[in-house]
Amino acid sequence: MKLDGRIALVTGASRGIGRSIAEALAVEGAAVAVNYRSGAAAADETVQAIEAAGGRAIAVQGDVADFADSERVVQATIDGLGGLHILINNAGISRDALIYNMRPEDWLDVMKVNFGGVFNCTKASMGHFMAERDGSIVNISSVMGQRGWLGESNYAASKGAVNAFTRCCAMELARFGVRVNAVLPGFVPTELVEGLVAKDGGKGILKQLPMRQFGDTDDVSGLTVFLAGPDSKYMTGALFTVDGGASAMLGTGAPL
Amino acid sequence: MTDQNEYADAVRQAVANALGVDEDEVTPDATLMDDLGAESIDLLDILFRIERAVGVKIQASDLGDEIQGGIPDEEFGAGDIVSRKGLEHLTTVMPQIDPDEHEGKLRAEEVIMHFTVHNLTDMVSRRSGEREPA
Repeated sequence: MKLDGRIALVTGASRGIGRSIAEALAVEGAAVAVNYRSGAAAADETVQAIEAAGGRAIAVQGDVADFADSERVVQATIDGLGGLHILINNAGISRDALIYNMRPEDWLDVMKVNFGGVFNCTKASMGHFMAERDGSIVNISSVMGQRGWLGESNYAASKGAVNAFTRCCAMELARFGVRVNAVLPGFVPTELVEGLVAKDGGKGILKQLPMRQFGDTDDVSGLTVFLAGPDSKYMTGALFTVDGGASAMLGTGAPL
Repeated sequence: MTDQNEYADAVRQAVANALGVDEDEVTPDATLMDDLGAESIDLLDILFRIERAVGVKIQASDLGDEIQGGIPDEEFGAGDIVSRKGLEHLTTVMPQIDPDEHEGKLRAEEVIMHFTVHNLTDMVSRRSGEREPA
């Protein structure tokens, strides 16, 4: 298996895309720390699912928006699993609103988790990776970081920050044998985006997607495992969309 | 006790590999930043390579702290020029600095430009001694 002997930390891994990534990493042989903030029961389910499939996992509580917590989560992973080679910065929240109606704390909360979490966990683990001259960081961003969507200004800005940070971080860590890339999912129905697809089952979005279907969490985790593993050893500082072709289009791609 | 030569070799290799220069360019008297063109990220790379090679951990911030020797900023470099007291201390970590020659002329922020490969080797050697039980 591609990730035998590797140890991974996945933030926000109790559900959604994070859970899918945690399980996919374990299938390839990695031992996985399943980080969660408040969903202890869901995190335990993720751990149990990994163990039931023959893998190794632990649940690690901690809020990545807090730097001290992030340091604790990284250390608990190293202590609990015996090392760290792969960091998946996945934890994210949304607080959708038109800017006109948005409360100032709505952008700050989103930024603290979505970008702050990437910064905090990267900062907390980079010394370890640098000393080992080994490591792969994958930031789970969003196509929203590259394009606009009504009501997602705060979320889009946080993901744009993640994308810019990914490039700079890759430059600073390349010298130390550590790679940093980002995955930019399009529309993947999870609790995070349930508001978007709730209306008419998401038909209004589907007809704008070249593939005419939403993504699965598997589509995101497959690419993430590739970027975490040895087959991408010469790839760093890159942003990869997984969006069914959505961001390739200009407008709707045809006259309406 | 580890041979001083082992540290000299480790430092030379770390500097050469981090900067992408030939090892024979990395002479003991070469200054890291001025002669060899090291930037801050190169220094970080060098320090991590040394740690891997000989197990001696030096933080980038330690470099400045050791050069200043715990002397408060205002005493070390009043008006940005290194004081006599500062110069006297520098002779212990950078023996090539002649206090008489530099008195009244050496700017505090320029001190690091005089830091040589040999100075770094000495620092690694001292740090390794600190780790060993008395």
